[in-house]
Amino acid sequence: MSAPTATDRVVKQSLFDRYGTSLAMPVGIVVLLIVGTILSDRFLSISNLTNVLINMSIVGIIVVGMTFVFITRGLADLSVPAMVAVGGLLVLVLDDVIGTWPAALVGLLVATAAGLVNGVLIGYAGLNPVITTLASGTIVLGIAQAFVGGVIVYGQDPVAKDVLTERIFGTVPTIVLIFLLVALMGHLVLARTVFGRWTYAVGGNPHATEASAVPVRRVKAGAFVLTASLSGLAGVLLGISLQAARPGIGTGYEFDAITAVVVGGVSLLGGSGSIPRAMGGLLFVQLLTNIMTLQGVPSEPQGMVKGALIVVAVALDVFLRRRGGRE
Amino acid sequence: MNPAPSLRMRGISKTFPGIRALTDVSLDVAGGEVHAIVGENGAGKSTLMKILAGVYQPDEGSIELAGEAVRIADPIDARRRGIGMVYQELNLVPDLSVAENITLGGPPSRFGFVRRKALRERAQEVLDELGARVHPDDLVGSLPVSQQQLVEIAKAYAASPSIIVLDEPTSSLSENEAQALFRVVERMKAAGIAIIYISHRLREVIELADRVTVLRDGRLVESRDAEGITAADMIRLMVGRDITDVFPKREVPIGEVVLKVESLGRGDVFDGIDLEVRAGEIVGLAGIVGAGRTEVARAVFGLDRADRGHITVSGTRVTIRSPRDGVEAGIAYVPEDRKRDGLVPQLTVKDNVALASLGAVSNAGWVRGSAERRVATDRATELGVSPPLIDRRVDTYSGGNQQKVVFAKWLATEPRVLILDEPTRGVDVGAKADIHTIIGELAARGAAILMISSELPEVLAVSDRIYVLHEGRLSAELPRGASEQDVMRAATGEEAA
Repeated sequence: MSAPTATDRVVKQSLFDRYGTSLAMPVGIVVLLIVGTILSDRFLSISNLTNVLINMSIVGIIVVGMTFVFITRGLADLSVPAMVAVGGLLVLVLDDVIGTWPAALVGLLVATAAGLVNGVLIGYAGLNPVITTLASGTIVLGIAQAFVGGVIVYGQDPVAKDVLTERIFGTVPTIVLIFLLVALMGHLVLARTVFGRWTYAVGGNPHATEASAVPVRRVKAGAFVLTASLSGLAGVLLGISLQAARPGIGTGYEFDAITAVVVGGVSLLGGSGSIPRAMGGLLFVQLLTNIMTLQGVPSEPQGMVKGALIVVAVALDVFLRRRGGRE
Repeated sequence: MNPAPSLRMRGISKTFPGIRALTDVSLDVAGGEVHAIVGENGAGKSTLMKILAGVYQPDEGSIELAGEAVRIADPIDARRRGIGMVYQELNLVPDLSVAENITLGGPPSRFGFVRRKALRERAQEVLDELGARVHPDDLVGSLPVSQQQLVEIAKAYAASPSIIVLDEPTSSLSENEAQALFRVVERMKAAGIAIIYISHRLREVIELADRVTVLRDGRLVESRDAEGITAADMIRLMVGRDITDVFPKREVPIGEVVLKVESLGRGDVFDGIDLEVRAGEIVGLAGIVGAGRTEVARAVFGLDRADRGHITVSGTRVTIRSPRDGVEAGIAYVPEDRKRDGLVPQLTVKDNVALASLGAVSNAGWVRGSAERRVATDRATELGVSPPLIDRRVDTYSGGNQQKVVFAKWLATEPRVLILDEPTRGVDVGAKADIHTIIGELAARGAAILMISSELPEVLAVSDRIYVLHEGRLSAELPRGASEQDVMRAATGEEAA
């Protein structure tokens, strides 16, 4: 004798439910642009907005990976700071030995290898992602510190720095273009490839997905490998453009990436979300930070505002889910 | 003088949306009596017990405990009123000791601190009264299932109930272990407790019960003394229904053997399974809950790993260790639990339909959007998903439509073998007829179909042949035209196997 199930009824969606969540972010960004313009005459200038873009670029590359982690219901990757440090340190330590671009490749590969360990432990061995990445991040960071001795490493290749910061068409630096390219690729992979379809399915219902002959473990592992290599890439770009790096260089990037994804409305429960949404969240947070900085708000209250923003975004997600009766 | 029975349920009716679960069922159970309730899957046994336990409220009818009319508000209320439930799934805390589990409901305490010595003594007392040989200091998680079952009963008994319900207590026990349980039941009976005993094992019922109540299709068929009752009597009462549902059977030519399973086994779940399914043939797999039907199906498809035996598809020996292997071999599996194993609720109809066959609509890993849409539209239309809006989230559709989406997903893989596990469970009558038509159509196109259903009339009407499972082994292979009695005899182990 089976009890009635919720699926027996057709769930009607109101206009708000259907479009409200996708419209909220663009509206929020426009509101911020208006508020920023009113509060400061420096805000709506090409140089300021370009600055916002440059500031977004490094964390934006990481956000792409973190979005995959969220959608597969992989919770979050906390090893990001370690992978950023690996990329940044390796490229600067090795640049006078093998040249900057080969060194960049090494940094990227080492971070990817570390991500592979995360992927195997989480995807195949089924360990908790938060604890696993916390542990692996601590270990990798420890190795990095032992390797460089906790001091600042300086780069030897100002030419490479110029390549990254050079403004194409006079306004947009190369580093921003790299970020936009990564975001576009990430979006295409998620929206147009088999791997992307699998990513959503794994996060939505891993049991049904496994029963549909999808390599669930590989997909889950893939999200963490991707995040690690993108974090490594972010570290490499950061190292080259600063020409200096220390083991703590990546601190806070995991938090900023998670904030962006969550504010963008990508659910921690997996199965939904997109790169454009996460980018919307990132832009929103960056604009808000920029406005506060222009207003002379010190960094401590800024952190509090960001923290509060996460709580609001998560609460909103839970609220919308309840409304939709999808729990 | 006749004392009022411990429990008197009168005219209980309960309807769930679209399903009439119980109609005018009455039940009297006296203290010191073992009252067995038997019936097919879906006869209403668990609904009746859930009403007694306060999980559901009856639409009509009354409940009296020791002569006093009561309303059982919720499971806590039921417990307070002296009703102890022992469900099939055990509710024990594996990391606590036997004694701690037994006294979990109200451990002896002083100022909020548990009195460890008193707790242990109380547990020992309960175990002694029941004659259960379990050590109170052992961790529950380290005990075999049979002893955990005794702990669960001791836990219910520790609350000094006047009524105890045992729901399929022996389903996972061996013969010897069951005997130990029966001794415990006898002790409780001697203590004057009213015992409601639900079991599919008719021999146990004959051995233990004082009275037997038979339910069928949510109605009381008979309530009588167990004295002199035979298994054949009970089977006749359980299945003797008018077949009101019409399942039209489409005649199609039967071809070569497509699926051949030889001596398949997995742990102690099932063993020595030999099956053959031919092209165009619909083969039923019958058995009571827990007989291992779903487990066999999952192992053939690759969701579980068989550790013995061989599977051959269209003459080729295949190794199946995962659903990927299963799909590769041309096998599809429409699962029993649609919510868990069938669909990804957040995704659209299109994404669900294409999920198992993305390889066919992609190029070097890139999904060809138009090909994907065409496949989804074609399959959804073919199977009558209504309305066929492939961009709508699948969880906005009704159960019947969702099941059609699951079928669509598997048809898109163009399988040679279809395993259908309870294909019409939880769908309404109209969708049920649709699904039967689809199954007939698939057979006509030459698919080999293995169908599991707990509804005997359905299995009998649709199948060309029926295998019956009993406790993980094949107990019979029956031809078309077998009766419900034949199947039930084999399913309950009454047929000399």
